Amino acid sequence: MTASWRALPRLALRNVRRQARRSLLTGAAMALGVALLAFSRALGDGAHEDWIEAGVRMGSGHIAIQSPGYHASKNLDDRLSFEALAYANRALERSDVAERVVAVATRLEVQALAQGPTAAIPVMVTGVDPDVEREFSRLGRQVEDGRYLERGDRLHAYVGARLAERLELRVGSRLVLTAQGADGDIAGQFVRVAGIFRSGLPEADAGIVQIPLWTAREWLGVGESATTLAVLLESGWIVSEMVNTVRETIGTRDDLRALSWQEAMPELEAGIKVDDWGDYVFHVVLFGIIALAIVNTVLMSVLYRTREFGVLRALGLTQVQTASVVVTEGVILTAVSGLLGLAVGVAFTWIFFRNGLDFSAFMESDFTFSGVVLDTVIIPVFRWRMVAMSLGTIAVIGVFASLYPAYRATQIDIAEAMKFEA
Amino acid sequence: MMTTTTAPAVRSDEVWKIFEHDGLAVEAVRGITMSIDPGDFVVIAGPSGCGKTTLLNLFGGLTRPSRGKVWIDERELTGLSERELSKIRLERVGFVFQAYNLLPVLTALENAEFSLLLQGVSANERRRRVTELFAAIGIAGLEDRFPAKLSGGQQQRVAVARAVVGKPALVLADEPTANLDRATSDALLDVMVQLNQEMGTTFVFATHDMHLMERAKRVVRLVDGQIELDERRAPASG
Repeated sequence: MTASWRALPRLALRNVRRQARRSLLTGAAMALGVALLAFSRALGDGAHEDWIEAGVRMGSGHIAIQSPGYHASKNLDDRLSFEALAYANRALERSDVAERVVAVATRLEVQALAQGPTAAIPVMVTGVDPDVEREFSRLGRQVEDGRYLERGDRLHAYVGARLAERLELRVGSRLVLTAQGADGDIAGQFVRVAGIFRSGLPEADAGIVQIPLWTAREWLGVGESATTLAVLLESGWIVSEMVNTVRETIGTRDDLRALSWQEAMPELEAGIKVDDWGDYVFHVVLFGIIALAIVNTVLMSVLYRTREFGVLRALGLTQVQTASVVVTEGVILTAVSGLLGLAVGVAFTWIFFRNGLDFSAFMESDFTFSGVVLDTVIIPVFRWRMVAMSLGTIAVIGVFASLYPAYRATQIDIAEAMKFEA
Repeated sequence: MMTTTTAPAVRSDEVWKIFEHDGLAVEAVRGITMSIDPGDFVVIAGPSGCGKTTLLNLFGGLTRPSRGKVWIDERELTGLSERELSKIRLERVGFVFQAYNLLPVLTALENAEFSLLLQGVSANERRRRVTELFAAIGIAGLEDRFPAKLSGGQQQRVAVARAVVGKPALVLADEPTANLDRATSDALLDVMVQLNQEMGTTFVFATHDMHLMERAKRVVRLVDGQIELDERRAPASG
């Protein structure tokens, strides 16, 4: 950069300082906008993370390993053989995968009919390992009556509250589960209610029955097989990386398929995308307001200083150099306000990071969205990626919003500018 | 003498400037042909609206002629791009305006050295030249003051320093004494005469000021955009 170019930022900086009140007011508005943006982004990310967490714990984890046809058919014929299951488990024991896996749940799921004293209702029966599932799923902590399943249980069931109401079940009540077994024959299984849960999700509360995995296997005659190996990872942000790793390992086998939660629960992903779009619209509006604030301030500053720009041109500043003075003013204003706003936004995120923001006054505790129950307390999530993106976006806005005022400055008629009275 | 060439510092050939004003064509400058030698001290005089400032703007490349041609140091201006015109203004022309037009965010020194800065002159050299010039024109010690803290006369001296510090082929001054009282005006004229004599800087003024006219080596009188009188004279001493 030549000395002449180095002089221009100094001129721009002093011009920003010279209009201190105007710069301060605009900067404060912009900083508020950026702070709002940063915090809302952190809150949005936090909410999405919570939805994903709730979804994957309720469903088939961050990664579901199944037989290729099972996701579409939900048929017992498309189950994982004992040998396939063992192979998949070995794939998950690879060191680069294992160290990021929190829990692996083996499940045997089947559509069945639950028959109580007064009625019969179609349900999804899941055979689970109680010890693993207690850590994996939130259902184990949502006991309304009785208790969750335990390792020594055999003819026990854990049922949803609505199902219990409809079948008039209580803890200790008996019910009969009927489904098509592995041999194609209809098989019945008698169980007794050990506990009743209320998740807040109507579909789950009215249609899920959990029984011990070994009971389910025996009832359906599937030996040591299962329908799903559900994998819970330490973070939702590493899913695609881990899915690829798992796929690489099981790639040669045509009886195994690894699905990411997005593939296993497309409705949840769609819901998050819709919500993201809502956020984007909000951000575009916010960025638009910020951009208009910059255009207004910088343009007013240019028009107010018409004579000065005339002098600069008369002294030998080129049109490009003149424009760069204006753009630099806009960028300085944006950068300072942006950094300040970001700092405030991050500070708010940090304040609410521990206890979260309680929205219980605005939404019911069993509010559901795309198949998950929304937590009324949202914990904002801080991400450097978000900070970098916000800064980048702000910088781009600063440059673009200054282009028109810069163009106006280059089009000043020098001779006419000398007659200009501010 | 700073200029070694014998070519005119500035010259024009049948130059016209016609403005559109409310749909009417206003002929501010009408076919002026003139030449100003290096080291000259020329006053362009005439009543308001006679085209003095417009002619000065044409000479300085601040506005383009409607017809005709203008040369600075034998470089013809009408065919130049905006970028080339900027370079000519930076390197060959200095301007002094009636309203001083110092940049308010820069100190006196920074204002005066601005054209040197744009030319890429080193910081030490810039400071040395400006400090010497400030001492020569009687504003030493005011280097770090901002324009708002300077009197009108001091501001105009800084403006003169800014115009001459780059050793341009010519300095164009539009009513430089109009906002100054008599004593300040005389002192400023002394400065410019001194620079003309010692540095050989070519000065071209547009003015009504009789005192300034008395100090000129040449007076060109314009009426209705045309030269009515062009005479050489012996300048009165300050």
